[in-house]
Amino acid sequence: MIIPNRSEYLKQQARNGQKIMGVLPALYPRELLWAFDILPAEIWDPPGDILQANAHLQTTICPVVKQGLEFILKDPEIVTAGYLFPHTCDSLQNLATQVKDLIGISAPVYTFYNPKGAFRQATRNYYQDVLRELQTTLEQLHGPCDPEKLQTACQLGFKIDTRWNELQKAWMSDQLPVTNQEYFGLMRALEYMQPADYLELLDQVTVQDQTVIRNDTRLLVSGILPPDIETLSFLDELKVRIVADDLLAGSRRIPIVCMDPPYDPMEHLTDRFFMLPPCSTRANSLAERSHYLKTLIAKSDAQGVLFNIVKFCEPELFDHQFLVKSLKSAGLPLLNLETELQPGLSGQTKTRIEAFIEMLDDQVTA
Amino acid sequence: MSISARLKYSFMKDIGAPALMSLKDLKPRRARAVSKAFGPPLQSNKRLKEILSRHYFLARYAPGAKQVAWVTSGAPVELLRTFDFYTIYPENHSALIGAKKQGADYCAIAESAGFSQDLCSYARIDLGHLLSGKTPAGKLPKPDLLFCSNNICQTVLYWYKAIAQELNIPLIHFDAPFVAIEQSQHDVRYMAQQLQDMIPILEQVSGKVFDLKQFEIILKRSQNSSMTWGRVLECMQSKPAPMTIFDAFGHLAPVVSLRGLPVAQDYYNILLEEVEDRVTKGIGAITNERYRLIWDNIAVWYKVRFLATFFAERNMNFVTATYTNAWAETTGFLDVKDPWSSMAKTYGQIILNNNLKHRLGLMKKMIRNFSVDGMVMHSTRSCKPYSVGQFDLRKALSTELNLPAVILDADIADERVWSEQQIQTRLEAFCETLEDTSLV
Ligand code: SF4
Ligand code: SF4
Repeated sequence: MIIPNRSEYLKQQARNGQKIMGVLPALYPRELLWAFDILPAEIWDPPGDILQANAHLQTTICPVVKQGLEFILKDPEIVTAGYLFPHTCDSLQNLATQVKDLIGISAPVYTFYNPKGAFRQATRNYYQDVLRELQTTLEQLHGPCDPEKLQTACQLGFKIDTRWNELQKAWMSDQLPVTNQEYFGLMRALEYMQPADYLELLDQVTVQDQTVIRNDTRLLVSGILPPDIETLSFLDELKVRIVADDLLAGSRRIPIVCMDPPYDPMEHLTDRFFMLPPCSTRANSLAERSHYLKTLIAKSDAQGVLFNIVKFCEPELFDHQFLVKSLKSAGLPLLNLETELQPGLSGQTKTRIEAFIEMLDDQVTA
Repeated sequence: MSISARLKYSFMKDIGAPALMSLKDLKPRRARAVSKAFGPPLQSNKRLKEILSRHYFLARYAPGAKQVAWVTSGAPVELLRTFDFYTIYPENHSALIGAKKQGADYCAIAESAGFSQDLCSYARIDLGHLLSGKTPAGKLPKPDLLFCSNNICQTVLYWYKAIAQELNIPLIHFDAPFVAIEQSQHDVRYMAQQLQDMIPILEQVSGKVFDLKQFEIILKRSQNSSMTWGRVLECMQSKPAPMTIFDAFGHLAPVVSLRGLPVAQDYYNILLEEVEDRVTKGIGAITNERYRLIWDNIAVWYKVRFLATFFAERNMNFVTATYTNAWAETTGFLDVKDPWSSMAKTYGQIILNNNLKHRLGLMKKMIRNFSVDGMVMHSTRSCKPYSVGQFDLRKALSTELNLPAVILDADIADERVWSEQQIQTRLEAFCETLEDTSLV
């Protein structure tokens, strides 16, 4: 399995005349963009130093927002169809209007409000209204939305979700012979790949009939983003496997249950939104989140939880207190890592990880 | 609800609280040294203190007599008032603690329970209070219900989810979609529907039936209070301004936490009368008002006196603020004939739920209407929706209007964030620029 490099893949797509839209975290109707022949390129943690963004944002703003702005200010040539800001948190909400109304970039800026209301009929109806509004807005620049293309896009999205459900199960039950790095690389490739290419890539992953991995230490990771490449490969070295994830950039964007094949695109996209796992950025109660995590831990047989917290991320930090309390009282060992999205794994973090893993291993042998 | 609790509450409301307030009047107070730069203080200050003390005092008798709700400052409280909830505003309570310079202590309690220091300090103080039971208000009742709206920030939703979990009580959330360009019909429809969907839940929690007539009366009263508050603020367009924005930070409390009650309406009538009288007589809040300033963002509660004195002694008066204006700006949308949609328009479009183009336009208007010479922006660590974008707002206003401006890095209620030396230096440099600009 060869996962195409993000930057090279997008450059190639741009050379082929593909329309590319930069999309900020986290939840948005990717199928709608696909139907307009727009390739979403998600902007979570683009590499590079934060230089220009510091003139626009306070030091206490999370690095996802800062890196995102830094990327936008560079005015990358590959982004030809503007930027989409889904409504995720206060910082991203303001960044959208800051970029559009104050900094004033030349590319179009779109917003998409993910309702935070309780999951009732009014919220469902509203979500559909917001979907239609985005569709109408895109039609103004990209022409009418072809219903067939939207249906096909939903089919592709559905296949991807279904395949991921299988892969997650296989990963939990040790039937997926890939490393942590490969697993999350695969997951995150959807942030920039064409759905058809992505499905091909997923098809290259072979699920084994039987358990193929044993004796690894098993962890669940929770947070916004997976640990960086250095940390993942260090975990690989230590024979630690992240067997399940509760990541906003990961499985919190995959419906909990297998959905029915799409019949009506708008209904399908709405169902999909409401079937996503509990998340700090949505209306779910803390009890729901903690219950979901515990179920995931039980299903995956995880021995402990690694919280990978993005510095200054309010939604996660609020939930974190209760989740820690609740998991600790269930006897689960936890490790908290804070990330500012800068590459490199410090000696101190390595030592903390090693100590944590030793403690988990001791528990097993005790 | 128990009969004895109700009787006790009524007794305290009608006899106990007024008696206690008059006793407080008799108690000798330590006179604070006030700078000569200030004009005569507002007479209404005394009434304000009485109202707020009474509100917190009566709160301890509410359990058993009334259902208690904790409410966010931007939530459509009129609906709760119709069901006769006793409402407590944790933000207001946290500001009070901040003003007493006790914010850090309460934050530390929340932090030792695992809440990050990077969270909004109003939330941390409130959680510190919740976990310890400590409060300078004597005793605060625990809520039966939580009512929040993300029209001020998403933070309140996370914060209230944490309280709901801790106390195992219902949380009603009013989802107010952010106005990225302008409010759409479906935004209004969604919010109006949510409000109506709340009625059965509120009926269940309160044990009372929804009374539309009563609701309309409360809405009207709420609108009147907010509009009167708006007129009080408008009086500050006069030169000299009859009060400072630091006064207004305090006089704002009833419109935030007693909105919809007769006491708030009565209070703003008194305040307006006094302020108008000062305008007629030319009485200024500071003795020599030479420069007029605008304040952006929430107050630095633990440094209100310091800042008020610092500027007054340099003949500078804050005559307007985006913060104090927030409870007056959208009230005009309220319409008793169309309560649900009009509430959606009122509550959905407040400054923190509106885009920065709107904020920039509003600030320009305020700068013009209030003859503003300079701007102080408080960039607060706590509040992302108020602070993200300020650097560019400042740039736009400084460039387009040639307005001297300074940004203060501080926090609303956690005094550990304040760096006196650095801030004083910045403020002095700002004052110099302002004075130099006016010489040109
Ligand atoms: S990391 Fe947290 S605060 Fe930052 S953009 Fe994501 S959700 Fe918002
Ligand atoms: S200070 Fe800001 S973040 Fe905190 S509760 Fe108020 S509006 Fe929300």
